[in-house]
Amino acid sequence: MTDSRTVYRAARSTAAAVDPGPEAEEFRREFRAWLSEHAPPELRGVGWPAVQGSPHAAALKAWGDVLCEAGYMCVAWPREYGGRGLSPVEVAIMNEEFDRAGVPRVTRGRAETTVGPAIIAHGTEEQKAYFLPRIISGEHVYCQGFSEPEAGSDLAGLRTSGVVDGDELVISGQKVWTSGYYESTMMFCLVRTDPDAAKHAGISYVLLPVAENGPGTGIEFRPIRQLTGRSGFAETFLDGARVPLFNVIGGLHQGWRVTVTTLGHERGNRATIAHVGYARDFWAVVEEARARGLTDDPAVREKLAWAWTQIETMRFSGLQLLAALAAGQDPSARAENGSVTKIRWSEYASRFGEIAVDLLGPEALTAGGTGEEGLGYWQEQFLSSRSGTIWGGTAEVQRNIIAERVLGLPKERKGAGR
Amino acid sequence: MSLAVTTEQEDLRTAVGRFLDARSPVRRARELMAGEVPHDADVWRALAADLGVQGIGVPGEYGGSGVDVQTLAHVFEEAGRVLLPGPLLATLGLAAPLLVAAGDGDAQARYLPGIAAGTTVATVGWLAPGAPWDAVGGAATAVRRPGAGWFVDGRVALVLDGLAADLCLVVADAPAGPSVFAVDAAGPGVDRRRVRALDPTRGLADLVLDGAPGTLVGEEGAGRALLDAALDRACVLLAAETVGAAQACLDASVSYAMRREQFGRPIGSFQAVKHKCAEVLVEIEGARSCARYAAWACGASPEEVPVVAVLAKAAGAEALFRAAAENVQIHGGIGFTWEHDAHLYLKRAKACQVLFGDTRAFRLRLADRLGL
Repeated sequence: MTDSRTVYRAARSTAAAVDPGPEAEEFRREFRAWLSEHAPPELRGVGWPAVQGSPHAAALKAWGDVLCEAGYMCVAWPREYGGRGLSPVEVAIMNEEFDRAGVPRVTRGRAETTVGPAIIAHGTEEQKAYFLPRIISGEHVYCQGFSEPEAGSDLAGLRTSGVVDGDELVISGQKVWTSGYYESTMMFCLVRTDPDAAKHAGISYVLLPVAENGPGTGIEFRPIRQLTGRSGFAETFLDGARVPLFNVIGGLHQGWRVTVTTLGHERGNRATIAHVGYARDFWAVVEEARARGLTDDPAVREKLAWAWTQIETMRFSGLQLLAALAAGQDPSARAENGSVTKIRWSEYASRFGEIAVDLLGPEALTAGGTGEEGLGYWQEQFLSSRSGTIWGGTAEVQRNIIAERVLGLPKERKGAGR
Repeated sequence: MSLAVTTEQEDLRTAVGRFLDARSPVRRARELMAGEVPHDADVWRALAADLGVQGIGVPGEYGGSGVDVQTLAHVFEEAGRVLLPGPLLATLGLAAPLLVAAGDGDAQARYLPGIAAGTTVATVGWLAPGAPWDAVGGAATAVRRPGAGWFVDGRVALVLDGLAADLCLVVADAPAGPSVFAVDAAGPGVDRRRVRALDPTRGLADLVLDGAPGTLVGEEGAGRALLDAALDRACVLLAAETVGAAQACLDASVSYAMRREQFGRPIGSFQAVKHKCAEVLVEIEGARSCARYAAWACGASPEEVPVVAVLAKAAGAEALFRAAAENVQIHGGIGFTWEHDAHLYLKRAKACQVLFGDTRAFRLRLADRLGL
C-alpha cells in the first residue's frame, strides 16, 4: 500500500498536465537552482503566512529581503513596475518549487495580490512610481478597509465619508474586520465621497497611511477578539484622518471599478495553490489518525477519502485553469470562476476542521496546545475555518453571484444594490 | 499532451453532439427503453462510420485511431447529456480496455478491428448473482477439454448490454485462478436473459452459460488484474458520462426556472431556487475537473489512474445525483410525471451511483489505494 501511495504522490506534478512550454521550464530550472542555494534551512517546514507573534517572524522577514533582492517578489507584476512579469503558469511553477524545497514563499500578501494590481490597472504613472516600489520592499504593508459594521457582504453599503479639503481628503467613519492591522503601515479603504450619488457612484478608493496617524491623529485600531481567542482583526475608528488626494486611486468617486478589480484578484488567486496547504494538513491528520489506531475504522477512512477528493478537485481545477492559460485559451469563458472556487475551499476547510477535531476523541475536549487559549493546531483550524465562508463575500453571496452571473438567473426583486 | 481541451477535441465534441441530437435525442431513449434491447444498431454503426468514435479506444494497428481516453471522454460527456442507450460503456469502457490491457495479440487481432468498425458490440461479465462488485471469481468456471479448448459454465449477473453484445469477455475460475474468456454472446451454450433495470436506458442481462466455448484472453490467472484495469478505465469514462448528464439536468433546471412563474415572478428569482442551481453548478464543475483530469491521466500519468479513476467516478455520480434530484424538485409537479425527462436522469443517476460500487465503497477503495 505504501508503494502505491508513494508512486501516486510522486506522480502528482504540474508540468505534464499544464504543458507550460520551454520558457517556463527554463524558468523552473533557474528558480530551482537558485532556491536550492538560498533557501534558509531554519525555515524548512514553516508555513506562510505566519500568524501574529510568530516565532519565525524575524527569519521570515530576512527571507523576504533575500527574495526581494533577487527579484522574486511581486513576480506577477509587469517588469516595468518592479515585478518579474511571470505568467500565472510560471507563478504556479514557482509555488510548486517553494513547496518542493519545503520553505515558505514570502509574499506581500494583499498588497501584492490586490492593492498592487488595482494601482497598476487604475493608478496614474506618478502613483505607480510612488506606491509600487514600497509594496515590493515591504515598507508599505497594507491592511484592508472595505468592511463596515452595517454593510457586511453588501460592500457598497458603506458609510465612512471622505470630504475634500484643499488637496486632502478628510475621512471619518468606522471600518471593521481590519485584518493584519498590527503590522500595517497603510490601509486600502473605500470611502463615500459623494453622498448624493447612486450607491456605487460616489465611492473613492483611498490608500491611507496609518503609521503616521494613530490614536489622537484620526485613526484608532481596537483589536477584535475572535472565537479562536486571537485578535487578528480590529475595528478601525476614523475620525478626521487626513490623506493627500494623490492617494486616491482611479479618480475621485471612481472607486467602485477599482474595487471590482481588487475583489476579482482576491477571489481568484487561491485557485491554483490552495490545495498545497490542504494536502499538507490532510497527511498530518492521517498521521494523527494512524497514531490513534483509527485508520482501520471504515467511517474514518471514508471521511478521509472524501477530504482527499476535495483537495484533488482543487488541484485538478487549478491545473485546468493553468493548462488553458498555457494553451493561450481564455479560461474566463469557463463557468469555473472565483465564486465557485471560494465556495469549494471555504466549505471544505470548515468540514475538514470538524473531521480533524473529531479524530482527536476525548483530547478534543481539552486545551493543551500552544495557542492563546491553549488550543491545539486542529482545534484552531476547526475554529478559524469558520471565517472562510464569511469574509470576502459570504457563501450565500457567492451563490447569488453564480446564479445571476454564471447561470443568468433573474435578480431577486428586492435585490437593491446588485 | 496537456489538460487543456484542444480544438480537435472541441470539434469532435460538437460533431458528436450534433449527431446525437439528430439521431438519438432523449426522445429516442424513451422509444428504445420500451423495447427488449435498449440499443440502436444503426446509430452504433454510424457512430463508427461517420465519426470514428469506437476507433478512439482502439490502437492503430488494430484498425482504430489510437487509445486516447482524453478525447473519448468528450464523447462520453455528450452521450451522457442525451442518455444515449447502448453499449458505449460496455464496449469502449470495459471490453476494449480489457483487451488492450491483456496484450494478447491473437485476441486483439480477432476482436479489436470489429469494435473499431462498429460491427462488434462487446462487454465484460464477472459478477456472481448477489456478489459484491469487487468480488472476482465464483460466477463461472472454465474447464479445458483436451483437444477441444475451453468451455465455460455458470451464471454471470448484471452484464452491461449483454443482450446487444456479440462478444462477452467472461471472468471465470480456471485452474490457475480467475481468467478471462472470450465467449460468443449469441453462440451455443449461452442463454441471455433480459434484466429489467432501474435505469431502463442502460441494458442489463444475466448470462447463463452451459458449456459455452471460450477462448482464453491473456494469461490464465490474470483475470483480477485485467478486470481491475478495465474497471478503472470504465470509471473514468463513466465519470465523463455523469458530468454530461448532470450538465443536462442543470441546463434544464435553469431554463425552467427562468420560464416558470409563481407568485408573479420567475421561480429562478427566488433565492432558494438560485442557491440550489448554484450548488449543483459547484458540484458539476468539481466533478468535471476530476473527470477530465482522470481521462488525461490515463494517457499521461498512468501511475495516478488507480486513485483518480475511483475518485472521479464517485464525484461524478454524486454530482449527477444531486443535479438530477434538484432538477425534479425545481420542475415541481411536472418533474414528477412520466412524460417529463427528469425521471430518466434521476434513474440514470442512481444507477451510476450503484454501478461498480456505491460511493461509500468507492471512498473505501480510494482510501485503500491512497494507502491510508
